[in-house]
Amino acid sequence: MKYRLLVLAVILSLLLTACGGTAASQKADITMMMWGDPAELEVWNKIVEDFHTANPNITVKVDVSDWDSYWTKLKTLLSAGTPPDVFAMDAPLYLDYQSRGVLLNLQPYLGKNPDMLNGVYPQTLEAYKTPDGMFGLPRDFQTVALFYNKDMFDAAGVDYPTADWTYDDLRNAAKQLTKDSDGDGKIDQFGFYSDLWDMELIWSEGIWAYGGDIINDDHTKTLIGEPKARDAWQLFHDMMFEDKSWPDSNTAGEYGGDPFLAGVAAMTTIGHWVVPGYAEVTFKWDVAPMPKGPAGQATSVNSAGFVVAKDSKSPDAAFEFLQYVLSEPAQKRLAELGFACPVLKSVAESDAFLKQSTPIDHKVFLDSLAFAHMKPVFKGYDEWSSAIGDGMATIWTGEAELDPTLDEAVKAADEVLANNQ
Amino acid sequence: MEYGLKPLGREKFWLWALLAPTLIGLLFGALGSVIATVVLSFAKWDLLTPPTWAGIVNYVNLFNDDKLLLSLTNTIKFTALYVPGVVIISLFVAVLMNRKIRGVSLFRTAYFLPAVTSAVATALVWNMIYGRDTGILNFILERFGLQPICWLCTENAMYAVVIVNIWGAIGEGMIIFLAGLTAIPREYYEAAEMDGANGFHQFFRITLPLVTPSLFFQTLISTINAFQAYDYIYMLTRRGQGDSSVPVVVFSIYRNAWNFFNYGGASAQAIELTVIVAILMAFYFWLERRYVVYE
Repeated sequence: MKYRLLVLAVILSLLLTACGGTAASQKADITMMMWGDPAELEVWNKIVEDFHTANPNITVKVDVSDWDSYWTKLKTLLSAGTPPDVFAMDAPLYLDYQSRGVLLNLQPYLGKNPDMLNGVYPQTLEAYKTPDGMFGLPRDFQTVALFYNKDMFDAAGVDYPTADWTYDDLRNAAKQLTKDSDGDGKIDQFGFYSDLWDMELIWSEGIWAYGGDIINDDHTKTLIGEPKARDAWQLFHDMMFEDKSWPDSNTAGEYGGDPFLAGVAAMTTIGHWVVPGYAEVTFKWDVAPMPKGPAGQATSVNSAGFVVAKDSKSPDAAFEFLQYVLSEPAQKRLAELGFACPVLKSVAESDAFLKQSTPIDHKVFLDSLAFAHMKPVFKGYDEWSSAIGDGMATIWTGEAELDPTLDEAVKAADEVLANNQ
Repeated sequence: MEYGLKPLGREKFWLWALLAPTLIGLLFGALGSVIATVVLSFAKWDLLTPPTWAGIVNYVNLFNDDKLLLSLTNTIKFTALYVPGVVIISLFVAVLMNRKIRGVSLFRTAYFLPAVTSAVATALVWNMIYGRDTGILNFILERFGLQPICWLCTENAMYAVVIVNIWGAIGEGMIIFLAGLTAIPREYYEAAEMDGANGFHQFFRITLPLVTPSLFFQTLISTINAFQAYDYIYMLTRRGQGDSSVPVVVFSIYRNAWNFFNYGGASAQAIELTVIVAILMAFYFWLERRYVVYE
């Protein structure tokens, strides 16, 4: 009798575990966490609805926070051992998570779906590759381009930027577009503005175009203080403090941090994410590729993607969702949202992206991939980028000298790299 | 401090029964996190991988982290400016509001409003006031033929944020002092008036000594608030991605813990802040025994 009970128990438990195993691929509830605003949430809800229709066995719960709270919440959930199954990742921060072993290796899944990434721009996959395989997949990407206020160019009689522009052309045009219209000694219209805290908006592009680089290949040395990179910094510095065609950061702060949007700067360099916001302005504007430097043309490419938590209880369903995000219907919805460029070539090159409601040359962002450098991805990125951004902030307020401050910032950044080896 | 009634017998039971929920909450909520912080301050922890023992490394780093030293200097400067400012101005406002004037409750409400308004929203308004080229303050200065001031530039930002923080704290200070002022018997003033004491004498000989308990309490609370101040400061001085031109210790703790994967270091900084506040509190209580007058 005892023996039979034991057998029964063993059979039952086997059955139960078997059920558990298959249930994951049949019926699963997963949570998906991301940063975003209400407009993005609306689109993601639609994508999830479509996904539910295609996969009736999987239920996705979407959880959206703003950028700052997102990372705090994510880290809290990860440290508590209850992470969301799928969560959004900013490519530069990816290795900070991957290296700490909290992400699921997607390589086995990708091995089973070898054609899955065929239609995706290869430049957007680069950031997620590690010696152990890919632990994340991109959902959309950003290249940086030159935005210009057509009304200001017309009024000043300056020709619009072209694909052949050099940084010298940019500087000259910026000078011509800088004006003190009411003659009170204060500049009312600036030729150019771009934010210099993060590398993505102008300084990485400038350094690459002048033949410099950001960081060495094994991420042990910061290269932004090398002679060629210094040429780019000198240009930014001279535009700001000699030509005064580029407002310093204090002045820019008074125009809400974006003088181009405020209608007081004729040009800016930024990514496609501003397009829905810029669509609201009253002036006419368009985009052109980044200018050329002595070492050629350069822009940066960065992506947002999704990763799966290593502790996810439904990794199969989670991967199913990632796969869906890269499908045509989902990528089309993302294109309609208008913030980013779809990573799926067929959608990016279709009317869904190119013929958006904002009548600008969206193709510039895709063509820019031809000369795009990947925004660096390495462990300790956030702290490294703060060391440089904070360290150089006093230059852009006009309080500190360029060269010694740059040297200090590089030293601080290298210390961060040493601590993150 | 021997005053008040002592609970007796059955009252004692109810005293503890009614205090229990709060005490249990404090014990497990506050005390638990305090102990966790102490333990983590001796660990290297990035929140994602298990913590490892780090010995006193985090404490050694307190002394050679330039950014933290800058934050500490800022916090101390801020406290030195903020505490006297809040105490003196809110006492002054309370004395003004402690009279029978028309619409006094309207004024009292106005002074208290910042305390119940979102710090983020008020900081945005102050940003508009402080703007160098577009701000209201400089507009007024220029009207009077004065040079505009870059209020939020690094050299002035400390004073600008102290002003906003004081402005935000006057209301609460005023309430504390009003409570203290209304407890002073009117007879004292009447007697003083008969003896020919003027308003100046009345304030320094009657009001000030009798309001010392509130003065002590308000100084203590303001000091704690000063060391914890963060929201207005960050909103007014932020630049770049999460940087601040007036970094304070709380800012450094937050950034190390949540942005730099350095929870252990952040814990050690939190302990350091607590120890500094504790030493100041001990000093205040020593002052209290010597100078505070309880009726």
